[in-house]
Amino acid sequence: MRRKLVGWGFAAVAGMALGIGLLVLIVLIATTALQAAPITAMRAVAGAGISLSLRSMEVPGTREAAGYVTVAQVEAGSPAAELGLARGDALLVVGSVPVERPSQAWEAVRGAPGGRGVVLPVAWLPRAEVALGTLRATPGGVTVATPSPMAQAGGLAPGDLLLSAGSIPITGTRQAWEALAVAARTGGAPVEVKLNRAGEEIRLLWDPVRRGELRFVRDPLRAWWGFLTTLNEPRYPERAGLLPALVGSLYVVLVMAAVAFPLGIAGAVYLEEYAPTNLLTRTIEVLVANLAGTPSAVVGIIGLEVFARALGAGRSVLAGGLTLAVLILPTMVVASREALRAVPRTLREAALALGATRWETVRHHVLPYALPGILTGTILSFSRALGEAAPLLLLGAFLFVTYVPQGLGDSFTVVPLQIFEWATRPQDGFATVAAAAIVVLVTLLLLLNAVAILLRNRFGRRWAG
Amino acid sequence: MATPSRSLPRAARGRSRRERLATWGLTLAGLLAVAITLTIIALFVHGSLPFLRTVPLGEFLGGTRWAPIHEPAGYGILPLIGATLVTTGIALGVAVPLGLLAAVFLSAYAPSPVRRVLKPALELLAGVPTVVYGFFALRFVTPLLQGFIPSLGFWNGLSAGLVMGVMIIPYMASLSEDVLYAVPRSLWEGAYALGATRFEAVTRVVIPAALSGIGAAFILALTRAVGETMIVALAAGRTPTWPPDPRQPLLTLTTAIVNIATGDHEATAFIWSAVFAIGLLLFLTTLVLNTVSYLVIQRFREKYA
Repeated sequence: MRRKLVGWGFAAVAGMALGIGLLVLIVLIATTALQAAPITAMRAVAGAGISLSLRSMEVPGTREAAGYVTVAQVEAGSPAAELGLARGDALLVVGSVPVERPSQAWEAVRGAPGGRGVVLPVAWLPRAEVALGTLRATPGGVTVATPSPMAQAGGLAPGDLLLSAGSIPITGTRQAWEALAVAARTGGAPVEVKLNRAGEEIRLLWDPVRRGELRFVRDPLRAWWGFLTTLNEPRYPERAGLLPALVGSLYVVLVMAAVAFPLGIAGAVYLEEYAPTNLLTRTIEVLVANLAGTPSAVVGIIGLEVFARALGAGRSVLAGGLTLAVLILPTMVVASREALRAVPRTLREAALALGATRWETVRHHVLPYALPGILTGTILSFSRALGEAAPLLLLGAFLFVTYVPQGLGDSFTVVPLQIFEWATRPQDGFATVAAAAIVVLVTLLLLLNAVAILLRNRFGRRWAG
Repeated sequence: MATPSRSLPRAARGRSRRERLATWGLTLAGLLAVAITLTIIALFVHGSLPFLRTVPLGEFLGGTRWAPIHEPAGYGILPLIGATLVTTGIALGVAVPLGLLAAVFLSAYAPSPVRRVLKPALELLAGVPTVVYGFFALRFVTPLLQGFIPSLGFWNGLSAGLVMGVMIIPYMASLSEDVLYAVPRSLWEGAYALGATRFEAVTRVVIPAALSGIGAAFILALTRAVGETMIVALAAGRTPTWPPDPRQPLLTLTTAIVNIATGDHEATAFIWSAVFAIGLLLFLTTLVLNTVSYLVIQRFREKYA
């Protein structure tokens, strides 16, 4: 009885071990997909015409930094431009949420109730020239030189010495506007501005905030399609595009395939059909197995030294494809050998008995028979190459390629490298974009794997039958 | 009118020429592996010579300060080796028991249809790109672990090692399953005939019989962990520390290479030479380990086939 229980317990533990592995895979896919979800709202903000960037100001007298968001870019003719938003304005409120980081603006758009299209109130502080006019640093502090019409309407006059906005002391000409932006951040009540006019301290209640309504279109399909088909804008995650990396990956894999496919099959045919059983063959086998396990970073150094430098290919598509070919060749050989080994002996013997030479036997009988198996192995090796980042990272940092490569000599980036680049950036939004690119890459690889498995099942049955 | 007797020799000549051509071409393709290996060794030895001539081997392998671009420079790779051992150790701590148990389950317990579904599913784990694992470690596992270990850094060796372990499970499981499956039926039947339960047959007969093959799988998993780059580059940070602490950022051998190759500074020829020295060390390590693993597996196959 005890023996039986121990046995059952062991079986359960072993099954659980397998389950843990699969569970991690599911968690990985699920959490990444969740992290990618805000991309719809991000692109909805970009679609309204604005790009945001995070700024921060050190609050004088404290060690704290206050964050605020500026409009870094406004697309001409967009709803945002029509509303009057301009480059350099501080975006204060979206919906009912005070915005201190760009991600809060995206979250506000994402969380707003309603359907695909949603109209939200926004509040912003116009850029310094419009809100304040020209300021001058004088020995006594920051003085208003020429107030803008908006500042005049708010009560500022030439010669006023600015003391504080809200409770934030004003210490510089640029900082005066920043203090105003931080003080007005809630977007609701007017800001109390303290100033010194002709030796007299004045408190001014001023509302410099402009308000309006902006329509955001939250369309997941349009967001993902835009992400896949636009060039990359490296500064703003809401305008990040995967197109250069996708095309780069395609080109590099094509170059790699042109080299690794024939060479891999040839190597496998040699080892399986031609090689005599001797020390050399054994050495080759060991070396192939070893190369398959060589760290990809080491292969990357080879790519850089041999292809990029010695052969003069530079950091181009050609050098990248050749480097991946070296990386994938041993895997190709191993996979193709397995397919060749599955070809029945009788087939070869029949061909040879009919007077075919060895090459004719291989060319007309063995290879066609083994082709589905070889293709399965090829797809799996190529999908590995498609996810490989380390060797290409070493080949040269193609991290800031924003255009689509046109030919073999162009520099490029690939999807995994682009993921790496986005994942290492600390600013808001890049983790979302990296997660979105991962969703694309993993979907692509799963499709390739599914094709390989289908191929194996379909032709595997034919062989057996 | 051409008679067969006249056209035959010409055809035969063509055939034999094609035959020779094919043999030569295929032999060259076969020798490519040798050529690549020799190129790697020649390139790395040649490339690392300027470095190894200047920096004593004792300082290189025994020094505890790695700061190739600072003044004064430090060229000791002990922190890198320590970091690699830490992440590798954690990874193997996850992958070896889980991979082995999964292999035992697949080969000894799972019914055939279950096995046919679960084995490819497990292999999908190996198909996930490492940069994806790195992102997962950085953005999911580290925040999760920080709930339990408050002193855990944003970059740390622990979560990188754990996730790397998950990545290696299929390598460990697949090869172990192969060797367990290759253990002859007769050994199973002998154990059953002596009254053993399935558990006893697995643990006292089959696993010991497959031990050399499992050892080879272990070595293969080890080389994967030592050579892994993107997971540690993303999740373990880029700070050489001595002694290595899994809760803190670490710089492994592979990330040290990446660091120099992608750094903002202009890498001088001498610093590149240090990259070659590290690359040579990595290549030789994996060469020895892979060769041992391969030969052990071959021996195992010959023993039971």
